[in-house]
Amino acid sequence: MRRLLLTLAGLAVVLLVLPILGLLQRMPWSSLPDLLADDVTLDALRVSLVVSLIAAMFVLVLGTPLAWALGRTDLPGRRIVRALVVLPMVLPPVVGGTALLFALGRRGLVGQWLDRWFGLTLPFTLSGAIVAATFVALPFYVIAVEGALRTARRELDDLEGIASTLGAPPFTVLRRITLPRLLPAMGAGLALAWARALGEFGATITFAGNLPGRTQTLPLATFLALQSEPERALALSLVMLVVALAVLLPMRDRWLPGR
Amino acid sequence: MLANPRAGAWLLAGALLLPAMACSDGPGGDDLTVFAASSLTDVLPELVEAYEAAAGTGVSLVFGGSNHLAAQLRDGAPADAFLTADARLVSTSVGAVRFGTNRVVLAVPAGNPARISSTASLADERLRVAVCAIDVPCGAATHALGLPVAADTEEPSVRAVASRLSLGEADVGVVYETDIRAVDGIDGVPGVDLPPSVVEYWAESLTADGDRFVSYLHSDAAIKILHDHGFDA
Repeated sequence: MRRLLLTLAGLAVVLLVLPILGLLQRMPWSSLPDLLADDVTLDALRVSLVVSLIAAMFVLVLGTPLAWALGRTDLPGRRIVRALVVLPMVLPPVVGGTALLFALGRRGLVGQWLDRWFGLTLPFTLSGAIVAATFVALPFYVIAVEGALRTARRELDDLEGIASTLGAPPFTVLRRITLPRLLPAMGAGLALAWARALGEFGATITFAGNLPGRTQTLPLATFLALQSEPERALALSLVMLVVALAVLLPMRDRWLPGR
Repeated sequence: MLANPRAGAWLLAGALLLPAMACSDGPGGDDLTVFAASSLTDVLPELVEAYEAAAGTGVSLVFGGSNHLAAQLRDGAPADAFLTADARLVSTSVGAVRFGTNRVVLAVPAGNPARISSTASLADERLRVAVCAIDVPCGAATHALGLPVAADTEEPSVRAVASRLSLGEADVGVVYETDIRAVDGIDGVPGVDLPPSVVEYWAESLTADGDRFVSYLHSDAAIKILHDHGFDA
């Protein structure tokens, strides 16, 4: 039994690592410095970092209260909202992007009023790319934090009750009791959400379009380069790989589950 | 975990067999497999229908970006013929033939809501302008116009540009002449001519069966169908 499980586990590792090896094996190492230093790559890197980091910030600000509402209140309709919240994880991102277009596009449900009243249109803008990235990344954070809140619900109820009884004001309870117990889950959720935002492709190209320097993120640049200049696509993939590892590896012990 | 090791083995065997079974009815057999550029999406089914009736064999069509398809072919994807809008991707020395041309034109959402009336609108910062990325054939043809373009988005395919226009997200764009006819919700701009920038379609035969299909593209029947869809043949 143990042997079978180990074999399957090994197969899983091969499946996950083999494509990366394939990528590295075809990497045009000699022309890499030139490919990495040119405007297309640097613009895409800058757009990707700006979009994914701002999206992560929105995820934190919007996702934390949502996780709290789902995990620690008894509001009616929680189950339905919970199902809706995970929807972007299941939907193909292209469908998500199309949905965003019909909601927030220039002739969209809400978008037409944004355009008419405020002259604000999201498609083809950096803000549009951030909206798309936030849309796909938010669920990863919310389910991580909500899960932690639900698991620790009784403990939190007890400790927070005691702290309040002892006269701690609500903010102190939050800072000294609740947040410290949630931090690992928040960190893990945020790392996953950020990684998802960084790798986001389908919703971005569908909703925000593709313009170098404005909405063209690394995945979009990679996809287009693949059509004409495979070497550039490989170089761009390497940039994504390095950025993702640089952020995820240091977090591995502190945030990601299973230390 | 699994109480019964044998069940685990069956599960594994099933997991390994399923994809193999799913593959068994892929391209191959008696059918002809044709890889084709996505801008041929509307004309090819009709062409193929005529060919099937004439030749008595079935044809399965695989559409995609020319470069993606070419990469798949290099990696050994089974196809009998390859139809592309990029002459660089076919070996013109060994029997690839030109079978049609298309050209890029100015396009607007149906009814021309932004009242586009000249090519200068492509450079207007206040307008939403959608064009193809230079990496794909329609983008290269747009670039070859030599016009100043203040693009708001550079789409990965000509149909993506058409969809930006038909959804009203873009005010003006550049698409193929044939797309004006094929895509609902977009119009051309009568009286506004872009400098000529032509895209040539090439067909390369990869097997003996493919030869027959490729030569059929030069038949009168095929040329008529191409004309009906707005291609010059």
